[in-house]
Amino acid sequence: MMEALFTDYTLRTVALGASLLGVVSGALGGFALLRRQALLGDAISHAALPGIALAFLVTGSKAPLVLVTGAALAGWIGAALIMSVTRRTRVTYDSALGIMLSVFFGFGLVLLTYIQRIPGANQAGLDNFLFGQAAALVEKDVLVILGLGSGALVLLAVFWKEFKVLSFDRAFGATIGLPMKRLDHLLTALFVIAIVIGLQTVGVVLMSAMIIAPGAAARQWTDRLGRMIVLSATFGAVSGLGGALVSSSAHHVPTGPAIVLIVSAIVVVSLLFAPNRGLVWRRIREWRHGRELRVDAVLLDLYALASQHTSSDHPHAERVLNVMSGVSASARPTLRLLELLGLARKIDASRWSLTPEGVERAQRVIERQYGS
Amino acid sequence: MATEKIDAAIDVRDLTVAYGEKPVLWDIDLEVPSGVLMAVVGPNGAGKTTFLKSILGLVRTAAGSVLINGRPYADMRQRVAYVPQRGSVDWDFPTNVLDVVMMGLYGQVGWVRRPGRAERDRALMALDQVGMESFAERQISQLSGGQQQRVFLARALVQDADIYFMDEPFQGVDATTERAIIDLLRALRERGKTVVVVHHDLQTVPEYFDHVMLLNVRRIASGPVGDVFTEEHLRTTYGGRVSFVRAVAAAT
Amino acid sequence: MYRISLIVLLLTVAGCGPSTDPTRGPVSEDEPLRVVATTSMIADVVRVVGGPTVDVTGLMGPGIDPHLYKASEGDVARMSNADIVFYNGLHLEGKMVEIFAQMAERGKDVHAVTEGIAPGKYRESELFAGNYDPHVWFDLSLWQDVTRYVGDRLADRDSVHAAQYRRRAAAYADTIAALHTWTAAKMDGIDPSLRVLITSHDAFGYFGRAYGVEVRGLQGISTASEAGTADVQELAEFVADRRIPSMFVESSISPRGIEAVRAAVRDKGFDVQIGGTLYGDALGPAGSGADTYLGMMRANIATITAGLQHGN
Repeated sequence: MMEALFTDYTLRTVALGASLLGVVSGALGGFALLRRQALLGDAISHAALPGIALAFLVTGSKAPLVLVTGAALAGWIGAALIMSVTRRTRVTYDSALGIMLSVFFGFGLVLLTYIQRIPGANQAGLDNFLFGQAAALVEKDVLVILGLGSGALVLLAVFWKEFKVLSFDRAFGATIGLPMKRLDHLLTALFVIAIVIGLQTVGVVLMSAMIIAPGAAARQWTDRLGRMIVLSATFGAVSGLGGALVSSSAHHVPTGPAIVLIVSAIVVVSLLFAPNRGLVWRRIREWRHGRELRVDAVLLDLYALASQHTSSDHPHAERVLNVMSGVSASARPTLRLLELLGLARKIDASRWSLTPEGVERAQRVIERQYGS
Repeated sequence: MATEKIDAAIDVRDLTVAYGEKPVLWDIDLEVPSGVLMAVVGPNGAGKTTFLKSILGLVRTAAGSVLINGRPYADMRQRVAYVPQRGSVDWDFPTNVLDVVMMGLYGQVGWVRRPGRAERDRALMALDQVGMESFAERQISQLSGGQQQRVFLARALVQDADIYFMDEPFQGVDATTERAIIDLLRALRERGKTVVVVHHDLQTVPEYFDHVMLLNVRRIASGPVGDVFTEEHLRTTYGGRVSFVRAVAAAT
Repeated sequence: MYRISLIVLLLTVAGCGPSTDPTRGPVSEDEPLRVVATTSMIADVVRVVGGPTVDVTGLMGPGIDPHLYKASEGDVARMSNADIVFYNGLHLEGKMVEIFAQMAERGKDVHAVTEGIAPGKYRESELFAGNYDPHVWFDLSLWQDVTRYVGDRLADRDSVHAAQYRRRAAAYADTIAALHTWTAAKMDGIDPSLRVLITSHDAFGYFGRAYGVEVRGLQGISTASEAGTADVQELAEFVADRRIPSMFVESSISPRGIEAVRAAVRDKGFDVQIGGTLYGDALGPAGSGADTYLGMMRANIATITAGLQHGN
């Protein structure tokens, strides 16, 4: 299978195109995520639909470059409108997003329905832009993706530090003389390019996944911007490659959705298992911490009881400890744990006492908590 | 013998900002001499942050002009440093303390070039001035409020500016940090710098600052603290609340 | 006074509704029968069989893909106002199935022309049992059955002209039968090893079965399904191995898929041609010669034979 990646034209081309798309959308999507503009990618890709339809209606041409230009223009206008509406009216950002997304997309669908009555229109394959047609990528398409994509990445690298300030503290950037408004426009334009080159591969509806998912996954694994963007691009590339391979190994598996499924899986794994931020590890840490607190609490209770008697190994009833702990759960599981740790000892069916080690540890806990 | 006129550090004329019909700042005139520590006080919604932002060109003005050392602000950006409110950024951004401070130098590094050894050293020195040098590699998400404030200050210090604008730098910081900040501001004044601070705590104005501007959409009064920070002016600025105002004035 | 005017108002409103009586009586001598047909092929056969006494409106023009076609408000209105509606059935008009069901429930004269074909003659889908290939018009013998069915339904609806409908149907069926024989002969004339038809989607199954041609499509029976990478690879390997001279694109589908297959085949060292555009799910535009069913079949046969005999 892996050998076929190099020898088979179709697999090679689709995998290359999809991976390149993954790199570009991952890198730029990472920045979008940090600027809280992830859903803007969704709005832009949906806004592209009427752009494609109008490009066809106006020029009558079905050349991919023409349609993609229409998509880029419409996406850009959509983004500009959202910003403008947010700034000038009382409509909030997410409302403006939602409105623009549905209005543009709806308009696009209406145009498509109208176009379907025009003879020869179906040959333009406008419907394919909804979900993409990755399996039909040819060398020419990949060259376009490579050209536009590498241009976008070069600009990202050139203006890296300015984009960093733009994303972190825009107002401050303006005061040190950086042209924040123009940088904002530039970054948005690169964003639109990333989205638009993906439309033929995964389509309008699924493109937002390629923008949002790699960045969201990458954020889980690192706290450094450079590494996050590189990781995001890598996740995107892996998804593209993986989607092509999966689609190549079974019948009737469309490539675009396969890519999106893989990147979604990466996100789920990242959310759950990333070392610091992963939910699973956080749960485990919380549980361990909680257990430690319970151990210390019961230990101190035993110590308090013991200090009322002459010898520290005087046994105490479990019932008493239950009452002292004040929590609805019984103290028995914690007592068993203390026994395991060698800090307490079971005297008979329901009585416990501290071991010398237990006494020592209790004293240390008190020292730590209250100062000696 | 004619005395030559020294340009004020900051010269604001007729500054007016309005959101639609509502005036936020109205016809503000202000002259700030160099080498002072000036507080800007006023009730909530008085326009204090907007005042700072409109001087810095971050907010569109309906009218007015700003001169820095006698020249328009746009020409004098390198001489001015800004410390925004801590809450204005997302501290979960993936970057560390040193990186944030070096951002202060991006305007001087120029396009395409990456900040190098020299910039790094300057940033570390600025961090040392605020007592945060050992935090250089720390993620900013792990900082306390006071530490965040100091990082912002270091970012401003690294620019080696003449005039500093700060927006509520004492808000929500611990006592140690507050002392450290005021020491820093005084040191700046010693070196002839001008510092304008939007300040939220009236009680500490006489202790920390030598000049003050009372602002409530209009400029109520401005000048040396002794002359201007009176009960009458406070009452005009804050409206009523007599006991509160009297207590503050008594502390003057 | 108030109550009277309320009653008058209610009666007026009640009387203002559209006429929803679908079971009109036989048509008068002067008024033509209003017929709506979905695909251009069906519109064509209704025109021929119906003659001057029917007024046919086709919903889908030339080059329109019936699998993805979504009916507009205007289409629904046209169907509501028609006396009789013909559609293909077998799920060809995939996005209109509910509309037909609703109309039938309301007592409208709605007929699937494939019901004129005995169920045993359907091609069953390999992947989905119980689902059938709807592209019946490519087997001319089946289209004869459809012709007669259309004639009978028109006769039922319009008993005044029933005899004429049945007569025209029979005559047209004969013409189709002749073309059927001619097509079989033409296909026989092609070398069996070259008798392979590669198209954009699985539209030509009936054609393959009726005339002994091996048929492969890139997309499945419905264009709603997307071709995966494996589908492109497999088809390319097939074409290269068997050294098939030509592949064909279809008038209602984007050629990108077949072009991608072609690029893959050429990379394997075999130069396959695009033999031309076939009329797959729709007739051609007016003036193209393929704007009637007979013309369309002749044009397709010409394209296919020329393409497959290329280089011989």
